[in-house]
Amino acid sequence: MFSFLGRRVNFEMNLCCFQRNFSAALPSLVPVSLPSKKETHLWYVLPDEVNSETLLNQYLEILSPYEKESIYRKHGHQLKKSALLARALVRATIARYQTNCQINPRSLKFRKNIYGKPEVDWQNDDDWCPPPLHFNISHTSSLVACGVTVDVPIGIDVEEKQRRIKNNILAFAKRYFSHEELQLLASIADPEIQHQEFIKLWTLKVGQEAYVKALGRGFSAAPFKTFTIWTRVETTVNFQHFEALDSEASEIVVESSDDPENLTNNWKFALLDLAGSHYAAICVEKDNSIGGETNAPMSLAVWKTIPFVEDERVSGTGAVVAISGSVKQF
Amino acid sequence: MASVAGTTSLCMTSMSCSLKHTQGRISSVNSVSLPINGKSFPSLRSRSAPRFRVSCVAKPETVKKVCDIVKKQLALPEDSTVTGESKFAALGADSLDTVEIVMGLEEEFGISVEEESAQSILTVQDAAELIEKLMEKNA
Repeated sequence: MFSFLGRRVNFEMNLCCFQRNFSAALPSLVPVSLPSKKETHLWYVLPDEVNSETLLNQYLEILSPYEKESIYRKHGHQLKKSALLARALVRATIARYQTNCQINPRSLKFRKNIYGKPEVDWQNDDDWCPPPLHFNISHTSSLVACGVTVDVPIGIDVEEKQRRIKNNILAFAKRYFSHEELQLLASIADPEIQHQEFIKLWTLKVGQEAYVKALGRGFSAAPFKTFTIWTRVETTVNFQHFEALDSEASEIVVESSDDPENLTNNWKFALLDLAGSHYAAICVEKDNSIGGETNAPMSLAVWKTIPFVEDERVSGTGAVVAISGSVKQF
Repeated sequence: MASVAGTTSLCMTSMSCSLKHTQGRISSVNSVSLPINGKSFPSLRSRSAPRFRVSCVAKPETVKKVCDIVKKQLALPEDSTVTGESKFAALGADSLDTVEIVMGLEEEFGISVEEESAQSILTVQDAAELIEKLMEKNA
């Protein structure tokens, strides 16, 4: 498997101004610096590592009544747990970013934008300016992830590498993928590899989600058959023959058959192999106000975490392997 | 023993899946609240149309078939409670599951579901109604 080579930091409970706002047993959150405009932060939790009922109950305490309700409605312990961790992760993570004001994760409010994408509903307090934080969460029953950026929208999607597809992959692709993508999948002889490529493509594209979530639009707003996600090898773009999603150095582009101008250049995509078990797609809007930004790689920092308990920076380790898209881990 | 006048009583008796194991509480002659799985639905007023989606449209057999396909796709245990009111999201269906479920339903019922319609399916009941609507079109 892989080994975590990053630093493991354990936090002790310590008294500070946070303490009085929290339920007594939860340790205070250790602050983290905001990502710079060019950076993307990714935090993830492995539900299998969080088994303390006490801790899970403490997480429940920082959620809103609406969130709790939503969790109770899920069927089964596994689903409840990953849903709980998703909310706890997003609240704890946002609250940690250093801003002028200490934020109590429990007091965070969320709302949805007009397309249904969740965002923080900052409660304005006098002259306080809310941080221009953007976030997005995605989870499976075995991994919960939260991506964070500053100033630019972000969308992420995670999928289990081994998830089984009940239907025939090509029937699926014929229906939901573009013609080029179908051709790519059809050309793969080995069923295991075909399965892998399918999941990668799905994660980036239809579960994509990473793409439309970054746009802040819902699933229905981007008909998936009309755009192709593929890697553009740096030299030439050859429409007859293109690479599977395995080319680390190449850029992932989205080309719309409806409107070729519209989608392609504003976004950076990355596809990662995360924690050995998942594919993670990240999509971030390019910030064209920064010079030289257009073709710069996605600068990514990744932490494996247990909210309020410990963090481990895992960027650059075996836990995070860039599969496609131009990614620079730090 | 809810005494509710008008067409609403018909609907109540024909709803098999959803109203099993529920108890009716009558708070007044004109309204009934029915706790289902611990949740209270808004009251039924005898004069106006029911405010919650008590749908008489989908046949119980259709709903049952959808429940079975959903259970299979999500690998839920046989005895798990999946009813017409069950929301796909609450059952743990993500976007890929939903698409697979829709494809399974298409195969089972010989229909073709448009992308836009698929997006509006939130519960098992929604799926069953859509299926019957499409089957009717085919007929």
